Amino acid sequence: MEDLLIKIEKRNDVPTTLYFFTPFIAIILTIIGGGIIFYTLGFNPIEALKFYFITPISNLYGFSELLLKATPLCLIAIGLSFCFKSNNWNIGAEGQLTFGAIVGGGVALLFYNQEGFYILPLIIIAGAIGGMIFALIPAILKTYFNTNEILVSLMLVYVSKLILDYLVVGPWSNPEGFNFPETRQFSDSARMPLLFEGLRIHAGIFIALAAVFVSWFVLYKTYLGFQIKVSGLSLKTAKYAGFKGKTMILIVFMISGACAGMAGVGEITGPIGQLHRMISPDYGFTAIIVAFLGRLNPFGIIFASLVVSLTYLGAETAQIFLQIPQYTGQVFQGMILFFLLASDYLLFFKIKFQNFNKNELRH
Amino acid sequence: MATDLRISNISKIYPGCVANDNVSLQFKSGKIYALLGENGAGKSTLVKILSGVISPDNGEVFLNEKNLKLSSPLDAKKNKIGMVFQHFNLFETLSVFENLSIDATEDNKSLRVRINEILKKYNFSIDLDVPVLNLSAGQKQKVEIIRCLLRSPKVLIMDEPTSVLTEQETEELFISLKKFCDEGILIIYITHKLKEVLSLCDEVAVMRKGKVVSVSQTQNEKVETLASKMVGQKLAKIKKKINTSKNKDEIFKVKHLNFYSDDPFETNLVNLNFSLKKGECLGIAGISGNGQNELFQILSGEIITPDTSIIFRNKEIAKLNPKQRREYLMAFSPEDRISQAAVPELKIYENVALNNFKSSNFFEKGLVNERKIKEHSKKILSDFSVNTDNVELKSQFLSGGNLQKLILGRELITAPELLICYNPTWGLDVGAINYIHETLIKINDEEKSTILISTDTEELLKLSDRIAVIYKGKLSKIMPSVEVTPEKLGILMGGGSID
Repeated sequence: MEDLLIKIEKRNDVPTTLYFFTPFIAIILTIIGGGIIFYTLGFNPIEALKFYFITPISNLYGFSELLLKATPLCLIAIGLSFCFKSNNWNIGAEGQLTFGAIVGGGVALLFYNQEGFYILPLIIIAGAIGGMIFALIPAILKTYFNTNEILVSLMLVYVSKLILDYLVVGPWSNPEGFNFPETRQFSDSARMPLLFEGLRIHAGIFIALAAVFVSWFVLYKTYLGFQIKVSGLSLKTAKYAGFKGKTMILIVFMISGACAGMAGVGEITGPIGQLHRMISPDYGFTAIIVAFLGRLNPFGIIFASLVVSLTYLGAETAQIFLQIPQYTGQVFQGMILFFLLASDYLLFFKIKFQNFNKNELRH
Repeated sequence: MATDLRISNISKIYPGCVANDNVSLQFKSGKIYALLGENGAGKSTLVKILSGVISPDNGEVFLNEKNLKLSSPLDAKKNKIGMVFQHFNLFETLSVFENLSIDATEDNKSLRVRINEILKKYNFSIDLDVPVLNLSAGQKQKVEIIRCLLRSPKVLIMDEPTSVLTEQETEELFISLKKFCDEGILIIYITHKLKEVLSLCDEVAVMRKGKVVSVSQTQNEKVETLASKMVGQKLAKIKKKINTSKNKDEIFKVKHLNFYSDDPFETNLVNLNFSLKKGECLGIAGISGNGQNELFQILSGEIITPDTSIIFRNKEIAKLNPKQRREYLMAFSPEDRISQAAVPELKIYENVALNNFKSSNFFEKGLVNERKIKEHSKKILSDFSVNTDNVELKSQFLSGGNLQKLILGRELITAPELLICYNPTWGLDVGAINYIHETLIKINDEEKSTILISTDTEELLKLSDRIAVIYKGKLSKIMPSVEVTPEKLGILMGGGSID
C-alpha cells in the first residue's frame, strides 16, 4: 500500500534578485500558455504570437499606442501600490477613475466654449479630487465602521459607472448629439497636448512619469513611506510603534484615488475628447495586475504597464488578423496574474513529496 | 517488557551549523531521563530525529536492538514512540473526544471505553465532550498525553512540558510521569529547567553545541553543577537588591482599568488598580492567557479603554497612543519579538526607527534621516552587545537572544523612566537571559522603574520588588517579593487563594 505525503514548507530566505526575476518567468509562461491556446484553436502558435506581441509595436504608430495605453495603467498602479503596500485592498480603482473622469469632465464641459491655458490644469485637479473623494468612501467606512474595503470599493465601481451612464444620457448629453449617449466635445484648451503630429500619445505620460518619481521618493525616503512599509509587513508592529493607523488608511486611499482620477482625466481629455459610456477598457482592474507584476515597485510598474498594455494591443491585432475575439486580451492578463501568483507561491514555499510504504513498517 | 532505546553516532549538519555532532545515548525503561541543554544545544534536533520529523545525515536509532527507519512522524508512531510537544497540536473548537478520535483506528464506542480506562487509571479528570478551548493548559497537555497512551507507547518524549503549567499542574504531571515509568514506559524529558531535572529524573544527559557533554545520575548533581555543564562556564548568580526605601516618589498609577471584549479569544480585565514607585520593579505573574496581552496593550496605549485613569509622572496619559506615551519617556518591550516588537523582513536600522521619538530626529520634516538612524543603531548594537555591527542586516538573521537585546536596546537607549516588558526572556538561552536580567536590574539601580509581566515565576522572584498575580483578568493583592514563594504564586496563578 503506497501513500504519498505532500508537505508544504515556507522558505526562509528568498533572494531579492529572484523576487524581481519571477515576473519575467510569469511572462514567459504566459507566452507559452498563449501559444498552447492558439494551437488548440487551430492557429500556428508562432505566427499567432507574432501577431499578438510583435506586429502591434512594429511601427511608430503602434509604439505610440503602446505608451498611450500604458500611461493610465502605470498611473493607477502607482496609486494602488500605496494601498497594497500598506495592506489596504483597494479594488475599486476603476470606479475612482470613472468618478474622476466625471468630475474632470464636468469642469471641461463648463468651459466647452472657452479657451485658456488654465482650463486643462483645472480639469486635472478636479479629476484628482474626484477620484480622491470617491476613494475616501471605502476608506472612511473602513476606519470608522470596520467595513471591508474590498467589497465597498468594488461595489462603488458600479455606482460610478451608473452615475456616468445617467449623466451622459440625461443632463450632460450633447444638445446637438441626436440623443447619442455622449456629451459635447471638449474645447481644444481642455485637451491634453499631443506629443507628435499624427500619433495619439499625449502629455498625460508626463503625469504618469512624475507619479513614478514622486511615489519612489515618498515610499523610500519619507516617514509616510516608512509607516506604509511597516504597516504592510505587520499591522501589529505598526500599532505597537504608535503609527496613526486611521490617518494612514485615509492618506493611501486618497493617493490611490487621485492617481486613478487623473488617469480617467487623461483618457477623456486625451484620446476620447468627451464623456461617454465606455471611457475605460477596465484599466482600473487591469492596473491591479500591473501593480503586482511590477512588484509594487515604482520602476517595476513602468515595465509591467508596458507588458500589460501590449496585451490590449495584441488582442486588437489578433481580432483583425486572426478573427478571434478581443477578449483574448483578458485571457492573457488573467494568465499573467495566474502564473505570477503560482510562481510566487513556489518562490515562498517549497513542496515536498514523500513516498512511503505502510507495509514495510508493520513488522 | 523492558524497552531499550539506543541512539548511535547521530549527526545532523545544517548549513553553517552542526546541530548534532556524533551523538550517542542509551535509554532503558524503568527510568526517567532528562535531556538538558540551552536553546540551540541540539535537543530539539535530536527529538525531531527520534520523532521522524527530520532524518539524520549519519547514525542510527535502535529500539530493542531493531534498527529503526524513521522517515516520518508516522514511522515514529508505528514504532510506539510518542511525543508531547511544547505547543499543543489540538483542534480548539473540537471536543476532547473528537480530537482523540481523529487518528484512531478503532470505532468510537471502544475508543471511549479505552479513554475512560486511562482516565480512571491515572486519575485524570477531563470532560470528554467539552471543546478543547475551554480546557486549561494542563488539561490540554493531558489530552495530548492520552493521545499517546492510546497507542500504548514504549517511549514517551516530553518536550519542555511545564512551560505553560502552574506549580500544581507540574506536580500532577510529575506524578503521572512517574506512574508511566513504573509501568515500563521509557520517558525522555527535555527541559532547560534545572530543578525539574533534579526532582523528577533519574539520569541526565547534558547537551551543548550539538554534543553530549555529560551523562550522569541526577543524585550526584546539584543545580549549580548542572547549570555550569549546560552553559559551559561558571555562572555568576545574580540576585536583585530588593528596593526597600518606602518614601520614594510614585511615578505611575493605574486606576479603574477595565476592558471588555466581544472576542472570545480575548480576556476581559476587571477593575485593575496599582501604582509604582521610582526605581521599583512590579512583577505581574500569571499563566499566559489570563489577560496579560490585553494589560500590556492597554499600558502601552495600543488599546485605549474608556474611564481608565493612568497617571505617569503626574500627567494623565490614558488617552495617548504608544508614540505619544514614548514622548513622556515610557518604553515597551512586547512578548512577541518576531511579529510585534520587530519586523523580521526589515533591516536592523529600520527596526530601530520604529521607536521614533521627537528628539531622535530620525524623521526630519517627514523625510527619513538614514544617517542618523544608522548611527543610533550602531550605538545600540555595541552598547547592548548584539553580536553583529552590520545595521543593514535583516533582523530575521538575528538569533532570539540578539533580537531581544536589539529591542531592549532600542527601548532603553532613550533612557526611559518606565519600561514595561512582557516575557522579555521567553525562549532565550541562559546566556541571553542573564544578560537581560542584569540589564533590567541595572535600570532599577538607576532609579528607573519597570513593570515586568511574565509567566516565568523564577524570573519574577529574581527581579521584582513587589509581585501581583493576574488570573482571569483580575489582579491579586500586591505582595512584597520577599514574602512570596513559588508555591504561593502557583496557588494564585491556578486560581486559588492564600491566607
